[in-house]
Amino acid sequence: MATVFSQYAWLVPAFPLAAFAVLTAMGRQQNRTGGWIATIASLASFVVALLILIERMSGNADDYNGSFDWLRVGGTQLTAGYEVTNLTSLMMAIVTFVSLLVNLYSIGYMKGDDRAAVFFAYVSLFVSSMLGLTLSDNLLIMYVCWELVGVCSFLLIGFWFQKPEARAAAKKAFIVTRIGDLGLLIAILLLFWYMPGHALDFSSLHNVFGTQSGLISTSLTTLIALLIFLGAAGKSGQFPLHVWLPDAMEGPTPISALIHAATMVAAGVFLVVRTFDIFAAAPAAMDTVAIVGAFTAIFAATIGLAQNDIKRVLAFSTVSQLGYMMLALGVGSTTAAMFHLFTHAFFKALLFLAAGSVIHAVHTQDIREMGGLGRRMKTTAWTFGIGALALSGIPPLSGFWSKDAILGAALDDRPWLFVVGAVAAFFTALYMARLFLLVFAGKPRGSAEAYAHAKESPAVMTVPLVVLAVLAVAAGFVMTPFQDWLGPWLSGGGEKEDANGVAIVVSIVVSLLGIGLGWLIYGGRGAVRPDVVSSRLPWLARLLERKYYVDELYDLLFVKSLGRLGQGLRFFDEVVVDGAVRLAGSAVSALGRANTRLQNGQVQTYGLVAIIAAVILVLAIAGRRFW
Amino acid sequence: MLEDIPVLSLIVWLPLLGAVVTLLMPKQNARLLRWTAIVFSVVPLVLGLLLFASYEPILGGGAYAEHGTWLSVPLNAEAWSASQGVTSYRLVFNYLLGIDGISLPLVLLTGIVSTMSALATVHIHKRWKTFYPLFLLLQTGMYGVFLARDVVLFFIFFELTLLPMFFLIGIWGYFGKEKAANRFLLYNGLGSAVMLLGFLILIATLGFSATQTAGGVELVYSGSYDTMLANLADPNAAANAGGAMFLSGNLRWAAFILLLIAFGIKLPFFPFHTWMLKVHTEAPPSVVMIHSGILLKMGVYGLIRFVALLFPGQIDSWAPVLATLGVINILYGAILACAQKEFKLVLAYSSISHMGIVLLGIASLNETGFEGAIYQAVSHGLISALLFLIVGSLYERTGTTRLDELGGLARSLPFTSGILLTAGLASLGLPGLSGFIGEFLSFLGLFDTWKWLTAIGVLGVLFAAVYVLRGVLAMIHGPMQEKWIGLKEARFIEALPMVALTALIVLLGVYPSLLTDLMQHGFDGLLKELQTRVGG
Amino acid sequence: MSMLASYLTLAAVLFCIGLYGVLTKRNAVVVLLSIELMLNAVNLNLIAFSRYGIAPSLKGQVFALFSMTVAAAEAAVGIAVLIALYRNRATVNVDEFDELRR
Repeated sequence: MATVFSQYAWLVPAFPLAAFAVLTAMGRQQNRTGGWIATIASLASFVVALLILIERMSGNADDYNGSFDWLRVGGTQLTAGYEVTNLTSLMMAIVTFVSLLVNLYSIGYMKGDDRAAVFFAYVSLFVSSMLGLTLSDNLLIMYVCWELVGVCSFLLIGFWFQKPEARAAAKKAFIVTRIGDLGLLIAILLLFWYMPGHALDFSSLHNVFGTQSGLISTSLTTLIALLIFLGAAGKSGQFPLHVWLPDAMEGPTPISALIHAATMVAAGVFLVVRTFDIFAAAPAAMDTVAIVGAFTAIFAATIGLAQNDIKRVLAFSTVSQLGYMMLALGVGSTTAAMFHLFTHAFFKALLFLAAGSVIHAVHTQDIREMGGLGRRMKTTAWTFGIGALALSGIPPLSGFWSKDAILGAALDDRPWLFVVGAVAAFFTALYMARLFLLVFAGKPRGSAEAYAHAKESPAVMTVPLVVLAVLAVAAGFVMTPFQDWLGPWLSGGGEKEDANGVAIVVSIVVSLLGIGLGWLIYGGRGAVRPDVVSSRLPWLARLLERKYYVDELYDLLFVKSLGRLGQGLRFFDEVVVDGAVRLAGSAVSALGRANTRLQNGQVQTYGLVAIIAAVILVLAIAGRRFW
Repeated sequence: MLEDIPVLSLIVWLPLLGAVVTLLMPKQNARLLRWTAIVFSVVPLVLGLLLFASYEPILGGGAYAEHGTWLSVPLNAEAWSASQGVTSYRLVFNYLLGIDGISLPLVLLTGIVSTMSALATVHIHKRWKTFYPLFLLLQTGMYGVFLARDVVLFFIFFELTLLPMFFLIGIWGYFGKEKAANRFLLYNGLGSAVMLLGFLILIATLGFSATQTAGGVELVYSGSYDTMLANLADPNAAANAGGAMFLSGNLRWAAFILLLIAFGIKLPFFPFHTWMLKVHTEAPPSVVMIHSGILLKMGVYGLIRFVALLFPGQIDSWAPVLATLGVINILYGAILACAQKEFKLVLAYSSISHMGIVLLGIASLNETGFEGAIYQAVSHGLISALLFLIVGSLYERTGTTRLDELGGLARSLPFTSGILLTAGLASLGLPGLSGFIGEFLSFLGLFDTWKWLTAIGVLGVLFAAVYVLRGVLAMIHGPMQEKWIGLKEARFIEALPMVALTALIVLLGVYPSLLTDLMQHGFDGLLKELQTRVGG
Repeated sequence: MSMLASYLTLAAVLFCIGLYGVLTKRNAVVVLLSIELMLNAVNLNLIAFSRYGIAPSLKGQVFALFSMTVAAAEAAVGIAVLIALYRNRATVNVDEFDELRR
């Protein structure tokens, strides 16, 4: 089928880029209109992306690829190009849609901020580079955009730059993700030299690793896959590189929704999906992905149980859900991973935006000071509730279907991973119940005054909530065990997710158990006291609250030791290296001083020295005869 | 059209003309002097850009080459035995200028950074009539270094840069300026002495060219670079020249090591780096822009032009040493940059780290690596010029660049802070800005041969993120101190070079082919030579 | 002992006395006198060689005359310098004339 809109795919990232340019050039004069410029740009992108998606859904359209020469490396021309496939068109639609809603929401959220124009400029740059990442047809350009989204995330986390916490969080986010990026960079270097014809584009990767397997040895393939996964783990907050994501909540809440929940953090998953052929050719790498994903899922979920900051609970939930996606990839189901990415983008963005609405109303993020807000903020409470149920995996909301797909895939592949996933699902339901009940139900625990002032957010903020809530309910129906449309479309047919009765039953049961336990503890009936764990096992509660002391450990292991190394080298540089220089200098001048002793200005001394020297010379010449 | 005028000579000598013109002006009129200097910096830049626009990588720069002889000394031929048929025997000093894919990017860099630096001289507050002639003289030296195709001429231009720099640091610097100037002169003097020795060996053993006449052979010795290349490539060169003394294996090693040290000091590589720290902290910002932006690149240029291209065999066996040195430079500079409390020192150590990447590119001994080295040189030139421009502008306002005394400047100086952040991101190698391309090409080149070393070197990119963010964020983010509230934003004449340099950094980051296409055929000879060595 | 040898011995002795004076005496006038002594030793040599040398001729004596003239001029300039110095520093002690060192 002829592609009409696909060839204009480059327009999708171009609109936000233009918005960024305009907003940067105009500066702060645009504080009022800036939000609308960004929103209109993302609307334009969304329209194009939607047209492309519709075009691709309507038939088996050919993949479209356009490129131009970008960089000549030795004798090789590297190109920059874009590629429209079913996968990229889906991802593009998700990104443009969420960014459109977040832009709209931010107009309300950022109202009155004197750097609003800067905010929207950063967001536009982010959207543009995220779309570039999605569209790019080779690893190098993807890496470029990959770093750009990282820097936008850094800029936006540090948006309220006067807060030292924001500064520290921004720095941490950039540096921790950079560790992963190094892995990706080295993987690209390896691929460049080992791929035939130095090709880095995804279709060549598919050919070499997918169909002509054996061209590159398994051990090398495993190494490349692990390095790519390191990059993905950094971006997607997988253990042990997850530490930056919770701290990133220092940024404005719409950013947490857009970047740190729906789009950028999912880029790691997207990267693995794009290069999945490499992973598929390396079983050891697949095991690593699955185990890291499963571990992250349960690890972050348990931490989420003990956090008191509304955004941090959601952040750990994001880490945990990304772990699920990695788990799905590790057990070989890209479809399940992309499906969960798709649904998660909607309900997690919804949860964050609703949380932002709450924070906007009560000006605190501590859930211990909230409570009873459901009566004051009906829309927010309802939409948050829908998001929470979707995340907990209650049928027929979208989260249920996608989580079920993952658990089903895990059960088929490695049953013990299925158990881990199910336990994590239980914790997920539990902490979401806790969060919802503490914030919206019960009596207000904070100051009465703040409660009195809390009111529903303006329409520009609630409309995106409602839209997302609808999608959080409905998005799951693209791929149910009864009607599987997404799988064949995404993977080009063939793959069929079998309905797995055990997985469905177990996932419903654990979700209900989690919510039920949450209701018993936090529902206000006092059936189980909230401090039931912390009073009996204080160390466990503390361990969870301090996030297993991972931050402290890293601080000790890396930050402190780097500081010491720096101080040591500084001493070395100043004392030894520069000391040697000074020594050489002072040796020369000491020699000079010693010689000035001879130069006493007395002609007679000079004469004497000259005479003695002449005598010695004569004697020496005369003496040579006798040797 | 460009071929018809001596465009290279114009580029070299116009700044000197400017120096003479400024000498004829009244000494109180700083504005007039400054604008004269700016004009005489812009014109060579424009010529360079025209050259860039009409340069054809495949043809090379042959059409623009200029030849001349300025001194011809008959040498005593009696020592030469007449039986070998040598009738006349002369030493010739040539005036040879030429351009190719290696020097053109650096000439452009010189033009850009000099112009921006000339704009930044608004921060010079005394003795303008001494400053501007020296400033313009320095430019003549720099252009000469990149354009000279004769080692004697190269050496003269190289020395010509030292003297103005000495005074520029020593008179207009900060508190420790005399010490810094002395150290600069001593180190570079040492480097020059070593370089001269190396060049003398080259002239005596490679610089001959013979013409057969009826009476016998006429032998001419000169420093012509192209003659040297031709003699190196031709195994019968010495025999054809009446059995002239030819570069033997031991002399080859001696000259290689001498030149390596000479240009290594300029680069600088560990442990010859301490002089450069002093210059970075004590010299006035517009001078550091030139120093860090261009003068260090003379080391890069020399390493490629005289070390790598003339001694392929030697550099082939020393590649592991160079690569190790490069990695040491990267990590040593980066870790030390993490430990500094003064922003200028952070930048100084980061320069050491970035020059390590250049060494990696050179040590890779393939086209990719060499392109990476040049690209990194150009990009680092632009970035460090921009960073020091900002440092100068901040120092003018706050009187300090210590990290613990600054903070929250983004509130009162949003524009300058934004540019500083962009420059910092470029410095840590963010894709989309020019720093990344140089790093990527260098790593890519070295990775082909030295995988583990490269993997260790890549760690430097991580440390770069640490020290840049630590330094930049400490200044512009965080709570603002009371005393910085009323600071005035950059003036137009300060903002202009900032914007221009940022635009160039973005341009080179977004569309690197602009520069890599230029270098396309710059390394053909070297690569062929290396290939035959590997094959034989 | 031939005639030449005795002249040369005398000249050598004279020269050494002069040299000793130049190197040890503190009084500038005495140093100048010692220099004259050394010059005269040279003159003696010139004349001795012109009479008893391998190719005797008048050249040596002519040279001696030249040398005496120059010595006279030198003595005059030397004394003049000394007087100027004495007026400035009120001393003729050569140990105190170390301007170059300062």
